[in-house]
Amino acid sequence: MKFVPFVLKHLRRNWVRTLSTIVGMAVCIFLFCTLRTVLTAMDSARELGSVTRLATRHAVSLVYNLPLSYEERIHRLPGVKRVAISTWFGGALPLKKESKSGTGGPDFSNFFTNLSVEDEPYFQMHPELVVPADEMKAYREDLRGCLIGRGLARQYGWKVGDTFYLESFIPPYRRREGPFEFVVRGIYDADMVRDPAADNRVMYFHYKYLYEGTGHQTEAGIYVVELDDPGQAAAVAKSIDALFENSDAATKSETEAAFRADFNALIGNLGLLVNSIGLAVIFTILLVTANTMSMAVRERRTEIAVLKTLGFSGRQVMGLILSEALVIGALGGAIGLGLATLIVGAMPKVPGLSGFVNGLPNFGLHWQVSSQGLGMALFIGLAAGFIPALSAYRSRITEMLRQI
Amino acid sequence: MATNGSPAAKVAVDVQNVRKVYYRDSQEILVLDGMNLQVPEGEFLALMGPSGSGKTTLLNLIAGIDRPTSGQVRVVGTDVGQLSESALARWRSRNVGFIFQFYNLIPVLSAVDNVELPLLLTSLPRKQRRDRALTALRVVGLADRASHYPRQLSGGQEQRVAIARAIVADPGIIVADEPTGDLDAKSAEEILQLMVTLNTEFKKTIVMVTHDPRAAGHAHTQKHLEKGVMAESK
Repeated sequence: MKFVPFVLKHLRRNWVRTLSTIVGMAVCIFLFCTLRTVLTAMDSARELGSVTRLATRHAVSLVYNLPLSYEERIHRLPGVKRVAISTWFGGALPLKKESKSGTGGPDFSNFFTNLSVEDEPYFQMHPELVVPADEMKAYREDLRGCLIGRGLARQYGWKVGDTFYLESFIPPYRRREGPFEFVVRGIYDADMVRDPAADNRVMYFHYKYLYEGTGHQTEAGIYVVELDDPGQAAAVAKSIDALFENSDAATKSETEAAFRADFNALIGNLGLLVNSIGLAVIFTILLVTANTMSMAVRERRTEIAVLKTLGFSGRQVMGLILSEALVIGALGGAIGLGLATLIVGAMPKVPGLSGFVNGLPNFGLHWQVSSQGLGMALFIGLAAGFIPALSAYRSRITEMLRQI
Repeated sequence: MATNGSPAAKVAVDVQNVRKVYYRDSQEILVLDGMNLQVPEGEFLALMGPSGSGKTTLLNLIAGIDRPTSGQVRVVGTDVGQLSESALARWRSRNVGFIFQFYNLIPVLSAVDNVELPLLLTSLPRKQRRDRALTALRVVGLADRASHYPRQLSGGQEQRVAIARAIVADPGIIVADEPTGDLDAKSAEEILQLMVTLNTEFKKTIVMVTHDPRAAGHAHTQKHLEKGVMAESK
C-alpha cells in the first residue's frame, strides 16, 4: 500500500496521456458491456419461451406468409390442442399524433411490436397475458379494439377508450384510405412468473380487422400451435412440416424460443458482428494502452535506473509499472461500467431503440457482464504493461544511466 | 579524524585485482585492468582521471550497481560480486548512498517524498519514514523546502535533496559521481562543504569521482586513474 501514492503520482506526470488512455479504455469497456448486454438478452430470449407452444412459419423466411388453409390442417394433426394466426403488422404511429392520414407517413422512432391475432385461441393459449374479463369482452365486441400491455400504456400514456392510428411499413398492409384506427379496449399484465419471456409492451388486435381492412388479401404470418403434451414438441413440429413439405409454402415449425432466436437473426448474424466489433475495439485499446505504457517507461529510463540504484529490485520496479497499467485499466473499466449502466438503463426509453430492446426479455446490465467488463479492463491493463515492465525488470542500471 | 587513513582503521572498500571488460558490438573494451584499491572506513577519497580512465566504472563496482569481470570487490565486508541481483539490490538499499551528477530526483515527487523513497523499502511505519526524511532534509539545510518539487528548486538545492536521499537510510558508504559537475562555483562549494560535514561529523566513508581539482581538494585522499589502472596517489 505504501507504493500507491508513488504509482498515482506517476500517472499524473503526463495527465493528458493518462486521461486519454483511461477514456479510451472506458469507451472500450462501455462498448463491450453494452454489446454483451444485447447479446446476453438475445441469448436469454432463445432460452426462454413456452415449451407448450410451437411457432410454424414459412420455411424460406419470415417475410413470406402462409396460406390460411393451413390452420385447419394443422389443427387436425394429433397432439395439437389449438392453433392461432399471429401476424406481425409492423405498424408505427403517424408522425402527427392522433392524425389519420396525409401527415407525412409513419414515425418509426416510436415503433413498438403490434400483432394481429385470432383472439380467442390466441389468448387461451397465452395465459400469461392477464386481461380483466370485462375488458376482454369489450375487446372482442369491437373490431377496431386492441389490447395493449401495461408497459406500452405507461409509455404512451394510453388508457382504455383512447384512440390511435397505426400505419404499417409492409406494403400489403398499407391502405389507400390511410392508417388503421384502433381503440384501446383493454390493458393486459404480463405474468412473468408463468412465463419469464412475457412482454408487456406489445399491442394485440383482431386478425379479422387486418384481413378485412386489406380486402381479404392477407394470409397468416405464423401459426402459433398449442400442444397437448410439451414432450411431443419435436414430433408435432416434424409432422406439421412433413404435412406441407412438397407444397408451394413449406413450413418450419420450432419452439417459441427457437422462433424468437430466428426472428432476431433476421437482422443478420448479429452475434458474430457484435463480437467482431467488440474484439476489434479491445485489440485496438490494448495497442493504445501498450503504447502509452511503453512511452511512459521509455521516458523514465533514468528514473528506473535511480530506483534500482536506491535498492529497488527488478521485481519491485516491474510491480510498480504493472500497478500503473492496472490502475489505468481499473479506472477505465469503472468509468466504462458506469457509462454502460447509464446507457443500458436508458436504452428502453430511446426512440428507435425501445421497440427492439423492449422485445428482449431480461434486458439489463447483469453482474456477469459487468464482471467480464471489469476483468477485461484489468487484463488489458496488465497485458499492455507487461512488456514495458519486463524490459524495466531486465534493464541494467549502468546502461540506463549511460543514456542520460 | 582518527579513522581517516590511519593504519588501525577497518577497510570499508577493498578492491582486489579487478578487471572489467565491456563489449560493444563484437569489440572488447578493457576498462579496468588489475585494479587494486583499499579505502579505510571514514575516508573521503577523490578518484580523478581523464574521461575513459575507468573511474566511474570503479565507482559503480564499489556501489554494487555493476559487477567485475574478474577479481573481487568487498564493500563493508560483503563481496558484492557474489550476491544475486535481488540480494545486491537489498544490500545497496542498506549500505550505499549514491549521489549523481545530474541529481536524478523524481520530478513528480516533492523533496521530502524523494528523500523518503529509499525508506519505502524498509518496514518503517509511514510517520517514522516521514520524520527521518525531514531530518535528512534538515541536515542538508532544506527543511523549509520539503514540499517543493524539483522544478521549484535550484541546481544546488536539488543536489542537496539528492544528498539527503543518499544519507536517509544511514548507509556506511556514500559514492558520488561528479556531484558538482553540473553546478556553479558557489553551489559546488556548498555541496562539497556538506560532503565534508557528512564525512567528519557523521563519519560517512565517501568515494567521489571528479574532474575538478578544487573539488578533489576537499577530500583527504586523491587517487588518479589512467587507462584503467591506478596511476598515482596524493
